[in-house]
Amino acid sequence: METKPSNGSPAKFVDQLVVPGDVILDLSTMAEQTIKLGGGLRQDCDAISVIKAGILRFSKPNKYWVESSQKRYVPCAEDSVLGIVVDCKPDNFLVDIKGPSVAFLPVLAFEGGTRRNIPRFEAGTLIYVRVVKANPGMNPELSCVDATGKAAQYGALKEGLMFECSTGLSRMLLSSPTCPVLETLGKKLPFEIAVGLNGRVWVMFFCCILFVTSVNLWDSVWT
Amino acid sequence: MPEEGEKEEMVTPGEVLGKAADLKAGKGAYVAPYRSSEIPYVFSSLTGLRHTLTPPSDSPDQRPTVEVIGHKARGAVPEAGSVVIARVTKVMAKTASADIMCVGTKSVREKFTGVIRQQDVRATEIDKVDMHLSFRPGDIVRAVVLSLGDARAYYLSTAKNELGVVSANSTAGETMVPISWMEMQCPLTRQIEQRKVAKVGS
Repeated sequence: METKPSNGSPAKFVDQLVVPGDVILDLSTMAEQTIKLGGGLRQDCDAISVIKAGILRFSKPNKYWVESSQKRYVPCAEDSVLGIVVDCKPDNFLVDIKGPSVAFLPVLAFEGGTRRNIPRFEAGTLIYVRVVKANPGMNPELSCVDATGKAAQYGALKEGLMFECSTGLSRMLLSSPTCPVLETLGKKLPFEIAVGLNGRVWVMFFCCILFVTSVNLWDSVWT
Repeated sequence: MPEEGEKEEMVTPGEVLGKAADLKAGKGAYVAPYRSSEIPYVFSSLTGLRHTLTPPSDSPDQRPTVEVIGHKARGAVPEAGSVVIARVTKVMAKTASADIMCVGTKSVREKFTGVIRQQDVRATEIDKVDMHLSFRPGDIVRAVVLSLGDARAYYLSTAKNELGVVSANSTAGETMVPISWMEMQCPLTRQIEQRKVAKVGS
């Protein structure tokens, strides 16, 4: 019979691969403290167990979550994603962000947006947006302004090429310090890139080179 | 056993109940000219039993009222002002949809849909209401019918102390215990979730 895990045991699991069913924390052995659980973890009375396979991450002071890579995107607040406009309603644009349901982008959620200067997005327009609210069971709400109210690069993306990838690859392209692929490519050719955490990437080169090939190679090696 | 003065006869839609000069049309009956002649008659519009009501003695119009009670309509129907019990089906940014299950103490026979708008959730600070912090899909709520609403749904309101969420399940699946008018707690995981809770009891 295994002995009860001591206080230090969550450190044993952090940054390790965990599978559904692993118990990473036993609350009955811990003192009174607040612990924040992100995605992939569930509380069963006193035990925190894993419900999604992936790498367990910890961020100070008290947040745990499981990071995994898949083609499906689960909308989360404050994520920057690439959406495709599906329809226009009087109050909202309906935008597909590769999630379980279509998301709503209010027509006034733009910098300096009023009823008189509503942008005209046709069905099929690619837009870079921020997820404002993503409650389970409700359609996510989006915005083209950041938290302070400025436009900050959000909006429609014209020309260029959009391709889909896994969520793990998107996170890797966005990680800091800058991803080596982007750095080496940038030294040779100037380009613009927008990475959505929902597994969509948009690039625009100022001359024709097959960027897609190199990224597909990267994708198959790392995910 | 027919009472004296009352005829318990079964009528069908379109059947003549009498002349409009002798009778007033009540529920389930209407007045129309008889074929091509100009004389108005009272016709039945439902299938059911015909009842005659005597007029109050002080009214100027002394014609008895004839009405037809449909024999199939036994289930309860929500009316404006009635208290209903509904289950929330969908929560959106400014509205929540609910399926009405009981009207007063009687359960309904057919499906009625109700909608709770953001401004009808509570009585104070109605523009700061977050629908997701007031209801979740699957909650049982007690609400009052504001009006018949539009073609799709009745308009419901929970803007009183005794109206709101009566029973709800937590994300862990356990029935939660109310701890204040804004919060309910899961007994298994001790997590607190926000709802617009109804005040039950005196």
